[in-house]
Amino acid sequence: MAEITLAIATGRTAKRAMVFLEKAGIDFPDYHNNSRKLVIYDTTKKIKLIFAKTADLCTYIEKGAADVGIVGKDTIMEEQPDVYELLDLGFGKCKLVVAGFPNQQLNNGQLITIASKYPAVAESFFAEKGKRVEAIKLNGSVELAPLIGLSDIIVDIVETGTTLKENGLIVLEEIADISARLIVNKASYATKTKHIQEFIDQLKSELE
Amino acid sequence: MYTDYRVIDEYVNEYQKFEKVTETITRRFKTFGYKRIKTSAFEKYDLYSQVNSSVNKNEMIKVIDYTGDVLVLRPDVTIPITKELAESELTDQQELRYFYVQDVFRQPFDRLETIESTQAGIEYFGNRSAEADAEVIALACQTLHDLGFTDIKIEIGHAGFFQELISQINLNPLDLRELKQMIQAKNLVEIRPFLDRLQVDPSVAQVIEQIPLLYGDPVEVAKRAQELIMNDQLTKQLSHLMEVYEIIKMYGFEDQVNMDLGLINHMDYYSDIIFQGFIGQFGQPVLMGGRYDHLADKFGANIPAIGFACEIDSLVQAIGEQGTDPIKTDVLVIYEKDVMAEAIQLTNHLRARGYSVVASKKRKSTTNQDFRYLVEMNKVGYKVNQQQQTKSFTEIDELIELIEGGW
Repeated sequence: MAEITLAIATGRTAKRAMVFLEKAGIDFPDYHNNSRKLVIYDTTKKIKLIFAKTADLCTYIEKGAADVGIVGKDTIMEEQPDVYELLDLGFGKCKLVVAGFPNQQLNNGQLITIASKYPAVAESFFAEKGKRVEAIKLNGSVELAPLIGLSDIIVDIVETGTTLKENGLIVLEEIADISARLIVNKASYATKTKHIQEFIDQLKSELE
Repeated sequence: MYTDYRVIDEYVNEYQKFEKVTETITRRFKTFGYKRIKTSAFEKYDLYSQVNSSVNKNEMIKVIDYTGDVLVLRPDVTIPITKELAESELTDQQELRYFYVQDVFRQPFDRLETIESTQAGIEYFGNRSAEADAEVIALACQTLHDLGFTDIKIEIGHAGFFQELISQINLNPLDLRELKQMIQAKNLVEIRPFLDRLQVDPSVAQVIEQIPLLYGDPVEVAKRAQELIMNDQLTKQLSHLMEVYEIIKMYGFEDQVNMDLGLINHMDYYSDIIFQGFIGQFGQPVLMGGRYDHLADKFGANIPAIGFACEIDSLVQAIGEQGTDPIKTDVLVIYEKDVMAEAIQLTNHLRARGYSVVASKKRKSTTNQDFRYLVEMNKVGYKVNQQQQTKSFTEIDELIELIEGGW
């Protein structure tokens, strides 16, 4: 019986998370065998690992389907799960930004439309500035939206800025620094304090 | 034609769990000397605008009576009870222990469909001591234990702890809300940069930054907190929590208790010890409570009080995840017309002894699993069946003997 269940968001985060875990001395043999197993265990059989879609990961942790999870800060900001956010794992660094065309004027009181994978973040960012916005939820190719007139601007994560540049867009404003975080279910932290603390200490040793 | 009742059965089964939970809770509350009370379904809207509580005024269901007064459907139980007591002649020596199992009505902005939920809770008035605090927390542990949960953790904190720290710095309400959110999320990464940006006094910021880490085994946490805190008020709060913990140990619940000095009360009326109960795998707290010595002040009285409440629906859901046995009826009696009189006599007899009995002339689509004993009666003879084993009997006393021990 595994002591804790770890969930990792598939995609970009997953590969880097696995490298990080291995460096911290937590190894999942089945991961390297190109196995298609959805549930795998580490060598000590203490940690059970499941992969979840990024959009579902916060739900998994909040509802206790897994005890701890690794997910980008961008997803946490969008989903606002009721969980503990205990560590900045330092990888997967990028920025969440507002982007649009150069010299774009946004201040004439008109309703601004924003295309984004993060509509909630976009809306609250502009609401705090007292601007009226309408967010359109897109699931990919967000840069396309201003080019085809679907939105005025976009809110998206930017790593190198290449995609923006190629589409003639620039960063207008920075919203937040993003990196992978360790989140923990509140009940798990209460009932499995020792096991989770040990896991965190192991990760921390790699961070230092 | 045959009717498929299975869909309805599911609701019935769900409700059986609900009833089992309320029964268990009620029984436990009574063993601690609590008496059941009931409050009105309608309360004055003004009552809730008087008090800053967890009850968001926008979430209340408002009703207008024929005089034009605005009423609300009972959004909470603690406040009306406290008001009632404050207006009665309560002497200093009196101690009152009340419990309730009642529906409360709220319509949260993001979940418009869930208006009604059943809450069970206790309120203990007239005792300000550490013993009272410990007794209430022990009752909370015992209640969750009775419900069959195995990984129970009650997190104990102090409402005054965070309050005292932020009273030393000057934050506007928006920043304060953000700081609270970070502490509730134990967001160790962002608290310090946030406080530094607001130019908070580094000696205080250093303590606030450590709050999320003040979690775990009470003795250990108290030791770490002792090194951090810098004034008498905080020291007093901490030693009170430890006093309570020492008594909880005497109740035998020390393994079920964690200290969490990062616990922040959602309700402004909590004044001292606060706590919340978790059970394994269920992400939200299933039980919340604390001491509210100054709530009665608002109604012109001075009554120390402590209490907690739990949402029955959450408990039912959590039990569902841990799995329990469905509630069974004790005896099903199937009889033929010729022996109807005898069958009715038998059922009367069994019911008088407290058994639940269903009697039926013809076999309906009820399955064997719903009953512990199946009794079949006809002209030829009487038979009783339990787990594939059948025995015959002639007299009622024989049957009772079989059921009550001699199978």
